[in-house]
Amino acid sequence: MRSLLALFVGTSLLATPALAQTPWTGGDDLPATPLACDATVKTVAPGPYNGGAPTGAPNRAGKPLRVVDIPKLVGVGYFASTASGIQQAAKETGSMTVTTDGPTKANIDEQVTFIDNYITSGVDGILFAANDPVAIAPVLKRALKAGINVVGYDADAEPDARQWFVNEAEPNGVAKALIDQLASEIGATGSFAIVTSTFTTPNQARWITEMGAYAAKCHPKLKFLETVEAQEDNILSFNQAQTLINKYGDGLKGIVGMTSVATPAASEAVQQNKLCGKMAVVGLALPNAMKPYINGGCIKSTVLWSTVDLGYAAGLALRAVADGTLKPGATSFKAGRLGELSIINQSQILLGAPKVFTKADINDFDF
Amino acid sequence: MSPRSPALPAMPPRAVSLRSLLRHETLLALILLAALALLALANDRFLTTANLLNQGRLMTEVGLIAIAMTFVVITGGIDLSVGSILGLCAVLVGVFWKNLELPLPVAMTLSLGVGTLAGLVNGLIITRFRVPPLIATLATLALYRGLAEGISQAKSVRGYPAWFFELGQGSIVGIPTQLWLLLAAALVGIVVLRSTTFGRATYAIGNNEQGAAFSGLPVARTKLLIYAASGFMAGLAALVFVSRVTTTRSDMGTGIELDVITAVVLGGTSIFGGRGFVTGTLLGLCLIQVLKNGLALSGVRGDGTVVIIGAVLIVAVLISNVLKRWNGE
Repeated sequence: MRSLLALFVGTSLLATPALAQTPWTGGDDLPATPLACDATVKTVAPGPYNGGAPTGAPNRAGKPLRVVDIPKLVGVGYFASTASGIQQAAKETGSMTVTTDGPTKANIDEQVTFIDNYITSGVDGILFAANDPVAIAPVLKRALKAGINVVGYDADAEPDARQWFVNEAEPNGVAKALIDQLASEIGATGSFAIVTSTFTTPNQARWITEMGAYAAKCHPKLKFLETVEAQEDNILSFNQAQTLINKYGDGLKGIVGMTSVATPAASEAVQQNKLCGKMAVVGLALPNAMKPYINGGCIKSTVLWSTVDLGYAAGLALRAVADGTLKPGATSFKAGRLGELSIINQSQILLGAPKVFTKADINDFDF
Repeated sequence: MSPRSPALPAMPPRAVSLRSLLRHETLLALILLAALALLALANDRFLTTANLLNQGRLMTEVGLIAIAMTFVVITGGIDLSVGSILGLCAVLVGVFWKNLELPLPVAMTLSLGVGTLAGLVNGLIITRFRVPPLIATLATLALYRGLAEGISQAKSVRGYPAWFFELGQGSIVGIPTQLWLLLAAALVGIVVLRSTTFGRATYAIGNNEQGAAFSGLPVARTKLLIYAASGFMAGLAALVFVSRVTTTRSDMGTGIELDVITAVVLGGTSIFGGRGFVTGTLLGLCLIQVLKNGLALSGVRGDGTVVIIGAVLIVAVLISNVLKRWNGE
């Protein structure tokens, strides 16, 4: 018992300096790479290609392709809109038939089984959004071995298990979009709190660290209060936002929602407390969930990438690898109506900066 | 045997004659053959050795747990916590190996031990505190999953040595490694249930627990062993699963208990206890896997497939009930 106590004291002492290094709670302890404060884009060479290659693939240039799209799960707005983007790409190229199919819950095992079955059924191409980067790798490698073209979007697999990945946003890009939007709404010296999923959820932790670094560099007077956990639970998110409002009162100018659940829930809390215009909510959320608040004028914006464009770019990328026009070593990719997209991190196609949806254009999007 | 009145469905079911048991299994085998034939006609990529062996690989985890679950259900119990035990064991293999730096075989053994212990705890709660199995394992379903999530801290463990992947991805004499494991477990299950006093005690408990106790059968000990075995099998399935997908995650095995129970019930094991066979469970398991795979290959989408499987389950149980009634009269 005494040694246990000593262990506790020991670990808590050890933990203190580690905490001091990450000023914003809920971040991870990896290094951050904040973007420039203005809109200048520094082009970084993508580096050598590290994706995989299908073995013994037939010459598919210009030939009709049978493609399957396997998102994390089906039946949710997010992936329904990526699927509609993929269909746009299929229609535009005129030579792909794409079926979207997948598990009804985001389950690695079921997703692997779906891919497995489609390999056996002999498709030409697989588009995927991975539920787990490592768990999906063996089955995707099997697909490559069977000569199938493999392209990922939204959530990547290990690089050598697919050919290309369409990256919707880099963490530092998300951080810049959120913090710039926050500063424009609450002013350069405003104070704010963050509602996240959990402190250990990888994406959210990464974004928070990048946000801290970007704010320190470009908006040093923003006052960070605290980060609260709300899982990805609607009611819990609302309660946590309500607690923040009660706790800080006028001292709180803005809430940042890190999940597509937390942002609308925080908006609801702000609206119910009749704080519209006095307290800002900035965060990642699907436009449909935010329409009531943004159209009603209580909340000004929501930040996300265009999921339709994400699917569209992935569909075009698959056609391009099958045609042989997108090859290892490329530094940019011509993606139809999206123009020239840059290639980053050896084998990823970057969709661009995240989009800020406002009252002016949110009704043009349905997802 | 005494005639059973359909007007009293709540009456505890008695052991039925061997003939009726054979009928359910035969019926299931016929449905399975019909499904195989129809799906083979619908798609030329379905009935190939490579595809069928691959399906065997995919169904092993559910199958391993379903064998133990057959025993559990025959005693009139249920074990909802198997998916959570799978998740816990998967996470622990990673934690023991990576964080505690134990050799991987030791980590695997320890993890199996924890699985067995988790099952034993289920058994203790059920036998000592007389909590209904449904409630006891519903509670541990949440508890074990919570432990898995807490221990893993949402981090996955990767980078296992190559030999470990043999279990989930390799083959021995052309047959997937884990399928041998499933065959061995099935054989043990069949022999224990059919030809040992332990097996007969299992049926006796399911038929009439009080009667079994008054006859001097070790009711509590038998149930404890069965729930521990259920935990052990979930641990074994975890090892196969981790080896197959090369990583550990705390959400592994979520919802697998429903697949397992579906296979067991489709296999003709009575949810009220006292009746059932391991071979039935295996037939049920194969039928579900064949339907999932064959329908997917024939172009039926995932949502359509689950609807068809649900319908087959209802039809199979209905036909079986009709047959049973005829048999009883």
